[in-house]
Amino acid sequence: MSAPAPAPTAPTPEALGYRIPSLAYRILVAALRLILSFVVFVALPVAVLAYVHSRGVAIPISIAAVTTWGVLLLVLTAARYILKPTVAYGPLSIAVSGVFFAYLYYLVLLSPYRFVIPGGSASVAAGYSEFLEILMIVPAVEILAGILTTVEDAVHPGERLPFDYPA
Amino acid sequence: MTALLVPVYRQPPAIYRAARALRRFGIIVLVLLILYAGSVGYSAYEAAHATVESRTLTGVLVANGNLDIGGSFTLSNPGIYPIAGLELAVRLANDTGVHLGTVTVGPDTVDGGGTGLFLISISLPIAASSAAESLLFVDQYIEVNAWANVTYAYLFPLSVALSETRSWGAPFEGFHATVGTPTLVNGTIVAPVTLFWANHASFTEQGAISFVIDSASGAQCGSGGFSMDVPPGSVYDQTQGVDLSSTCSPAGGELLASLTVEGSTTTFPPEPIP
Repeated sequence: MSAPAPAPTAPTPEALGYRIPSLAYRILVAALRLILSFVVFVALPVAVLAYVHSRGVAIPISIAAVTTWGVLLLVLTAARYILKPTVAYGPLSIAVSGVFFAYLYYLVLLSPYRFVIPGGSASVAAGYSEFLEILMIVPAVEILAGILTTVEDAVHPGERLPFDYPA
Repeated sequence: MTALLVPVYRQPPAIYRAARALRRFGIIVLVLLILYAGSVGYSAYEAAHATVESRTLTGVLVANGNLDIGGSFTLSNPGIYPIAGLELAVRLANDTGVHLGTVTVGPDTVDGGGTGLFLISISLPIAASSAAESLLFVDQYIEVNAWANVTYAYLFPLSVALSETRSWGAPFEGFHATVGTPTLVNGTIVAPVTLFWANHASFTEQGAISFVIDSASGAQCGSGGFSMDVPPGSVYDQTQGVDLSSTCSPAGGELLASLTVEGSTTTFPPEPIP
């Protein structure tokens, strides 16, 4: 009688050449990134809008809308980062870019920005739709990248992990 | 043996590389656009604080029956991006809202760091009962409506509409011609003719005013002329005797004055003689 062969065990991530940070670590990093993103996407625009509004000039978009879109983007971005090692990463990438694209499209619809200079002697219409339309290339490209990642995760689960989290 | 199980990829899979390339491309585009937007914002801030360096009306004169207003303004662009497709339209209306004329400028471009000089010229006909006639004789407020279209930094179209009133000083404010009581001087009937006005315009009036005195029936009783050199803010008040025809009475008639400046003549509205 020969000894039974040992049961096969799945190779560890380290053995496969990558190391995924712990969930707590990813949440911590996502939270830190959230702070910076909050400043860029919410606090700064809201501060500018509030300043302009306080000077008696009509603002092109409501502060509530900026806050809503910004918070939505931040939450999705944080979730994407936390779930990057999972198959949810691709769909979340598509969702983030889709929301960003929709946000930009919403802003395009508000162009041109019309306002009256305090005192009422001059009115200004400033168009910015062309710039935003070019900027929409960014989320469009990101959506394509998200689709590719989703396909990759479906066909070869975990194949990208050694490159996303090299040991 | 374990080492044989490790799927070591020297090169990421093609689909991974494609996704990564797209993300990198997106990031590069985003960074470039953020840098561009930042530079546009800074440049626009600079331009907004020093766009119009001077704005002057350099010449106003009456010629060919028109009140010609000429001037210029200098547009400096201290920003780094061009102000392109600059078009300006200015409509003038008198204080009763009657349209006087329109000035257009452009389209033109002021390069970044450059300065553009734009000439303005408007010719307002001042024939009797014309909309602009009152500009000669009555101080008033002129309604100025201006529209400007530009494209800043290639991608940002900007439209500005201005509406304001500007005070207008009439060059012949209160113009008044009077014919005094005729007297007999050395066998000739002489009537004193007085011209009075105040020059509220910004230019010196130089030229001559000739006049004809007609009777109520239209017969010419006499004629004469004044020379003038009236600085801005001055009052013109001159009287001279005019020989009248012995068979003609100016009472009930009118005085017709004509202004001659640089060879061109403009007829003033008739002044009734009591």
